[in-house]
Amino acid sequence: MSDAPAINEGKQGSYRKARPAWWLVFSREMTDLWMGGKALNLVLVFSVLLGGVAFLLATNSELSLIPPKEMVFEMLRLSLAAAGFICLIIGADSLSGERERSTLEGLLLTPVGRRQIVVGKFLAAVSPWPAALVLSLPYWALLSQGDEAFGLGALWGSILGSLLVPALAAIGMLVSSRSNTNRTSMFVSLGIYLLILVPTQLPGSAQAGSVGQLLKKVSPMEATYHFLEKIIVNSRTVGELTVFLIAPAMLAVLAIGTLLLYYPPRLGLEAGGSGKRSSRGAAVVATLLAASLLAVGQADPATAQEAQDAPFEISIDMEVATVKTGDPVLFDTSVTNNSDADSPPLIVAMNIINLDSEGDVVDPEDWSPERTQYVTPMASGQSVRLSWRVNAILEGDYMVYMVLVPEPDGTNATSHPVASPGIHLTVDPFTRLNPGGVLPLVIAIPTLLMAAVGFVMWRQRRRINQVDAD
Amino acid sequence: MRGFNLDGSTPRTPVLIADDLRKSYGKRPALRGLSFALEPGRVLGFLGPNGAGKTTAIRILTTILEPDKGNFSVDGIGSDQPKLVRGRIGVLPESLGLPKHVTALEYLVFYGGLYGLPPNESKASALRLLDDVGLRKRARSLIGSYSRGMRQRLGIARSLINDPAVVFLDEPTLGLDPRGQQDLLALVNRIARDRNVGVVLCSHALSEVETVCDDVVILSLGQVVAKGSVSDVIAQARGNAKRGAGVRIQVPPESTADALERLDGLAFVKAVEAQSDRSGWLRVDLEETQDPGADLRNGNKALSELLAGSVPVMSFETRGGRLGDVFLQLTEGVGG
Repeated sequence: MSDAPAINEGKQGSYRKARPAWWLVFSREMTDLWMGGKALNLVLVFSVLLGGVAFLLATNSELSLIPPKEMVFEMLRLSLAAAGFICLIIGADSLSGERERSTLEGLLLTPVGRRQIVVGKFLAAVSPWPAALVLSLPYWALLSQGDEAFGLGALWGSILGSLLVPALAAIGMLVSSRSNTNRTSMFVSLGIYLLILVPTQLPGSAQAGSVGQLLKKVSPMEATYHFLEKIIVNSRTVGELTVFLIAPAMLAVLAIGTLLLYYPPRLGLEAGGSGKRSSRGAAVVATLLAASLLAVGQADPATAQEAQDAPFEISIDMEVATVKTGDPVLFDTSVTNNSDADSPPLIVAMNIINLDSEGDVVDPEDWSPERTQYVTPMASGQSVRLSWRVNAILEGDYMVYMVLVPEPDGTNATSHPVASPGIHLTVDPFTRLNPGGVLPLVIAIPTLLMAAVGFVMWRQRRRINQVDAD
Repeated sequence: MRGFNLDGSTPRTPVLIADDLRKSYGKRPALRGLSFALEPGRVLGFLGPNGAGKTTAIRILTTILEPDKGNFSVDGIGSDQPKLVRGRIGVLPESLGLPKHVTALEYLVFYGGLYGLPPNESKASALRLLDDVGLRKRARSLIGSYSRGMRQRLGIARSLINDPAVVFLDEPTLGLDPRGQQDLLALVNRIARDRNVGVVLCSHALSEVETVCDDVVILSLGQVVAKGSVSDVIAQARGNAKRGAGVRIQVPPESTADALERLDGLAFVKAVEAQSDRSGWLRVDLEETQDPGADLRNGNKALSELLAGSVPVMSFETRGGRLGDVFLQLTEGVGG
């Protein structure tokens, strides 16, 4: 017998000092991903993409006055989508890739538990997310120009990204677990990713209907984006939007739970798994997912009940506002039917007067996407809340007010418009982001990453044919 | 449980015992009752044409597949404890996948860790094994730079990192040059003898199985058609042969006609012909007889006849006396 260390049940002492298997698998995967260059290259592409978009946004802000909040939101959206994609394809390669390269058999032949292997691989597949987050932060900070949007974006982007991105990695791994070749795994994963993305790309009109509203809640990606937009751009409270957190959280729990709890005993050399049992398990997961998403869709948040009472009277929830050019001003009006009878249809029209130039009328078309809103007949005592958005286009001193026009009862009749209180709006000059200001960041981060890639390649080349002295 | 492989040496407790292993894929039986035992320090050749059930058998014995019926034990650990079994076996799979971006040392240390070795012990063990397989100097080179032979040797080192009781080597010499094959077979022999490990060697190269193996199991269509020590299996097959025995003689190609003429006239020669696929080789069929030693004597007489006629003899072998003959005889008609 040789003097090699014996590994058996009688040598428990050795096991005590040994590192946990999931850590060993994780470490090896990290080496493969990062030293092998795959993750590093993907993150490099990610940083170039981020830099390019940041530069475009910064440049564009000069022309169309995109406010910092919206730029932060746009960057956040991009970061989540790209980081999710990177982790998804790394997950999609993790098991089918090992099968294809014939390296999985070696792992399965060790006494290590299958769950430990899956956990190690999953953690490695998620590893690009923290890197992507760290790379994104400077862009968000720069584009926010000191706005509180940066803090909110960093906080909620990290939280929601930490739900969504690992969930996508887990989905990639689950697809990979059922695929014998990488091509199949990548193709299916990409299809799933596109399906998840589709609701975010629907036109505004499609999102407005009841199905659109449902999709906003049940689509994890769309719910995440909606939540982030409302929190960062529209300064809504978390309490109002809790329902939009359910879909990404549910996806994370189901995808990661299935991967780490249900799948490991089924990890085998072939992708097939155990036939009926696997199909039954997949059906249970699909049913759970569908049921939970439907439940989310039916959840009716308090924010949906936004109507308040008051007719033929119109009030505004804002009196004064000071903003910078390009900033949006969001406010609500409340229309109430104070009469004893049902109201006729009502039309609410927005007016903006320039106080600096002897009351010149400002064309609201330039300032707001909607100049009027229509209110259907209201019962006695009923009220309706209408949301408005005004983009502060030019600096100056303005009065924004609404006029409520009851629809006349025929061609020979007239009605008595009612005016609302006004909003005294002061628009200060916009502190424009110098597009050149973003350039150092756009260039520096990818350059640093390229240097890291170069270093890794140099180090690997040095080790290719390293020969030890006798 | 029936043991075998006794070649006169004192039997020892087997490290691998398979008992009536059966496995079907759907309605197609892949393995129909595999039973054998392997003692420590011995090399068992696992033979069979393609589709004979070798891969299924190896996958069952290495716990990758579960048998439909039957069981096995490794070093006294039953197949109902696959995790413990995996701790006592080492495997070099036929298609060995190795990562390109790590060094051989890092690779073995990683596997040592998976078997529960602390890092320092794992590293010491890895260096020792790399020394054993002749890769010590290239321990810190990336595996991506290794030749096929070096990769196979590294695979063998990996299969030994847990100091296993049984090592499974699936086609270890596939794709190696003759020198590489020779070196690797010597290494296999050394592993079995020096480390007192039971080795299961799957191979299509019958000559190498004959060279290195003590015992052999021949599978055909999922069934064991022969098993025992290599010499016993050969002798048994010769005894069972229904057709007449014979010899093969190699002469210089230019002397083929002369040799044919001389042998054709001998009374104990039933038929003689030049083998079309092997230049200079003659196939000599001898008359059947009840005397078990007659074949050998008649073969020698044929040889003497040629030498007396100044026909140079380059090579001589008894037909049915090689493992390859036995294999072909036992698996006749089976695709391979």
